[in-house]
Amino acid sequence: MGNDSGFMNRHYFLLRRLHSLSGILPIGVFLINHLLTNSTIAWGLVNSRASENVAPGTIEQVGEMTARRVGTFQHEVTFINEMPFLVLIEVTLWVSIAFHAILGVYFARTGKSNTARYAYQDNWRYSLQRLTGYIAIFYIFYHVATLRWGWTFMSPTDEPWSHSQAASTFSLALRGQAQGIGFGGILVSLFYFVGVTASVYHLANGLWTAAITWGLTISESAQRRWGYVCAGLGAGLMLMAWSSLIGFLLLDVNHARAVEADMHAAHGTHVETTLPVAEADH
Amino acid sequence: MSSTEALREHEAQERKANRARAKAGRSVIFKIIRCDGPGKPSRWESFKVPVEPGSNVISCLKWIAANPVTIDGKQTTPPVWDSGCLEEVCGACTMVINGKVRQSCSCLIDEYAPLEGDTITLEPMSKFPVVRDLWVDRARLFNALKRVKAWVPIDSTYAQGAGPKESPEHQQTRYRLSECMSCGCCLEACPQYNIEEDESKWDESFIGAHAISQARLFNEHETGKRLKGERLEELSDKGGVGDCGNAQNCVKVCPKHIPLTESIGAMGRATTIHAIASFFTGKK
Repeated sequence: MGNDSGFMNRHYFLLRRLHSLSGILPIGVFLINHLLTNSTIAWGLVNSRASENVAPGTIEQVGEMTARRVGTFQHEVTFINEMPFLVLIEVTLWVSIAFHAILGVYFARTGKSNTARYAYQDNWRYSLQRLTGYIAIFYIFYHVATLRWGWTFMSPTDEPWSHSQAASTFSLALRGQAQGIGFGGILVSLFYFVGVTASVYHLANGLWTAAITWGLTISESAQRRWGYVCAGLGAGLMLMAWSSLIGFLLLDVNHARAVEADMHAAHGTHVETTLPVAEADH
Repeated sequence: MSSTEALREHEAQERKANRARAKAGRSVIFKIIRCDGPGKPSRWESFKVPVEPGSNVISCLKWIAANPVTIDGKQTTPPVWDSGCLEEVCGACTMVINGKVRQSCSCLIDEYAPLEGDTITLEPMSKFPVVRDLWVDRARLFNALKRVKAWVPIDSTYAQGAGPKESPEHQQTRYRLSECMSCGCCLEACPQYNIEEDESKWDESFIGAHAISQARLFNEHETGKRLKGERLEELSDKGGVGDCGNAQNCVKVCPKHIPLTESIGAMGRATTIHAIASFFTGKK
């Protein structure tokens, strides 16, 4: 037996429980927050204050609703981007996701799906939890690599995602072109749909099983009641995830750029510009 | 009614409906997996069996053993199976019937093959090594009971007097768990429990729902709880309750309707508390 499996065996309980915990904190909590932010590209239209920093001329050009949607989303992204210790938060998330993914694959490989023989709903839930985990690994890697690490060679557009032009550059990365949608864009959009759906399912079902793992729900009725809570949360997150995608797919990239430009003009110093050389020399 | 009860009720209704339309004097086809010994290749053989009123799978297997001629007229060896009580309390005759695991002694032909020419398939359980035909070696199942010390420690060099009092409510909870007959249905249906022929790996392989439930039974016993810490240590380690994937097939196929998933939740809670207590006290 190698050292790795020896370490694994000695700390098996701790690793199992850390795997369970990491799915909820920080990953699950982050996913909820992330989907809340993203869905403002759709639900920002009810935010009447969002267009305050957009010039009247721009509103006339792009429409009040687009101004509100892009305005709210950009406001949220800017807020996140100005958080202290952002790199620490990011690295914590990357490490947690990698830990959860590696152990998850290891654990998933100990099982052997048998839904063909035992086609119970719970058994399908079990198999789907593993399938959605695998999908989420590929999806999250693609998502982070193309948008955060700038690996645009995997993206249908050459333009990297920018936090200062969050809506327009993401919409471009999703669709591949400013107007309409191309073949690559259709593929990426479908991948995003499958990926977020899988991720949300994985979180909702993972929350349900975690309650059994930790021993919060014991009786079948307690498990059923907690199941309603998890299903409700899952449905809500699914709605947010899908409306975000629709929001980005139905966005005019050039209109979004105009709103973002106004936002930064109003926000002043936060616009990403290089300092004049003369000033930097002082 | 819980979802598990609803599922059982649905299955019972299906069986009842089949019983009502069962044709007298019919013959049914038995499709059986045959294997001459451990490690030998397996093959399917079919037999045409006349059904008598009240026949079950074991009575039909006995008929086949007395008339070991396949449907193609080929002479073969009598099929081998394991059985004991013939009243669904020993668990020995457990096999996979029409794709699902259950006891063969209590499996009525009228409920599974009500019409002339209907087929019943018999396979050995897939999670245990085959000894021959439908007979498997369930030693790993019993090894799991040793792992969790599924007994009450009463050995001593002197009389210890009467044991602690037991409340009726507590007794009721434990009674349901005590009905386990170690048949292996929960293991056969479990996607996390897979065949392991290497005996040296048994102690690190998934222990299974039956042993988790038995650990709960004896941890709840007023005298049995003396070994609680040791049982929880075993269940915390590799192959313990943490390896459960919550597919919850076990509770659906349990012939004794034991609340196995509740036992898994209860042992999850017990190992959580045990781990926290150990962390702060240093005691195992």
